[in-house]
Amino acid sequence: MARFLLRNVSVLFHGIAAVHEASLSIQPGELVGIVGPSGAGKTTLLRLLLGAIRSASGSVAVDGRDLDTLSGRELRRVRAETGFVHQDHRLVPNQRVLTNVLAGRLGRWSFPRALREVYWPRRREVETIHRLLERTGIPEKLFQRVDSLSGGQQQRVAIARALYQRPRSLLADEPVSSVDPARARDTIALLSRIAREEGLTLCVSLHNLELAREYFPRLIGMRHGHITFDMRTDELGDDHFEELYRLTAAEMMQDA
Amino acid sequence: MRRSIFLAAIVGAGLLAAWHLGLSPGELVPDRSRWVLLRRFLVAALTPALRSQSELGTSVLPRAWEAAVHTVVFATAAISLSVVAGSVLGVLASERWWRLFPATRALRPVLFGATRVLIGFMRSIHEILWAIVLLAAFGLNTVAAVIAISIPYAGTLAKIFSEILDETEDDAAEALRFAGAGSLATFVFGLVPRALPDMGAYTFYRFECALRSAAILGFFGFPTLGKLIYESFGELYFREAWTYLYALFVLIVAVEWWSGALRQRLTVA
Repeated sequence: MARFLLRNVSVLFHGIAAVHEASLSIQPGELVGIVGPSGAGKTTLLRLLLGAIRSASGSVAVDGRDLDTLSGRELRRVRAETGFVHQDHRLVPNQRVLTNVLAGRLGRWSFPRALREVYWPRRREVETIHRLLERTGIPEKLFQRVDSLSGGQQQRVAIARALYQRPRSLLADEPVSSVDPARARDTIALLSRIAREEGLTLCVSLHNLELAREYFPRLIGMRHGHITFDMRTDELGDDHFEELYRLTAAEMMQDA
Repeated sequence: MRRSIFLAAIVGAGLLAAWHLGLSPGELVPDRSRWVLLRRFLVAALTPALRSQSELGTSVLPRAWEAAVHTVVFATAAISLSVVAGSVLGVLASERWWRLFPATRALRPVLFGATRVLIGFMRSIHEILWAIVLLAAFGLNTVAAVIAISIPYAGTLAKIFSEILDETEDDAAEALRFAGAGSLATFVFGLVPRALPDMGAYTFYRFECALRSAAILGFFGFPTLGKLIYESFGELYFREAWTYLYALFVLIVAVEWWSGALRQRLTVA
């Protein structure tokens, strides 16, 4: 069964199609890069997979569960199983790294349990999070406030929070655009290494074609809400990328 | 053009009010006996009394200290009660809270509206008026005095808390919701921690105000600095009155300095 299955999905923002008649199927454990210019609908596509955006038409299914037909509780279950790394990290800045990561598992806890687990964390959970931070490269930041960290370090907290969810898949929205270019490769390498080790399905949207080709065996190209290509990276020619961006350049000329 | 009309309207309204009240600067020139009294009072400021001006001649500073402590205790009790009530009402008066619970859509206008009306009512009546009402009902009762301060303060805190909750950045809360957190957990773990420094800072500011309110309640006979000021003033013991006024001044400035430092730490860090 496909982890993510989109059938003819369209999303409208103010009457304009952000995603247009998109169909795709992503299998468990696949590593997929989603490339395309800004405003192509990459973020919308990722958010569709969480049920964070409702489609105007078509259907989105996660592990065979059609998101449109789920109850609130069932949708929360799907979301708890899906880690999402936001472009702007979305952490609570005036709390410690530990507290932020603990909050990743709120989707699996009842509220009273959440209060206990987050504000009186058990030693075992603190050790688990310390190990997660070791894997993302910032174990020494466990007890620091998030707002004392650099952007790159905050991203690692966000990744640790997503992993603490014990997800089946990991979605990352433009993780490279918010860190400096030198760290971009580290971030993509980290995400793909963790996904391989844990057998997670990984979907990452990014601009950097070089990194996309290097780390993702499958690439999906998007432009103007359309999926323009969806194929194995080794079958992908330069002309595919050129088309993806060349037309945008022509449009930029028009705008100017 | 529109600005000058607006300005003219404000000046006009001021003149109209002055005319209606029959204000004339001449009234500020005291007659001879009042002039003497005013001068005595102002001169007394230079020599605040250390011993009571009554026949007993007891030392003033211990009384001032005790009254200052009482003032702080009253204000602390009042603000504590206000924070509890203000937090509950503030959450119920925030739009974010109700938006989190789609299931309550039917109840929302009633509870949200009722809370806002209640908060407005609590705020619109000054603590001195509440004190008059409650003292009439319960007599010179400490609990009544604390509640008198707490009612308008809880209303004000609730209003500001609800505004802070509605204006705090909610991106972290949204991230938690997208990770499957329930509505209550989203609110408590995503939004409240981010709003808390601002809420705390505002509470400290209100504590300063509560000190002044607690002092004023001394006029009704509660053992705060206001009582000593009122009594010594009534006896025309101006030098003694000035000692208590200075004590109140020092107390307020000290607390402002302390809470200012705390507020800065809360919001800047």
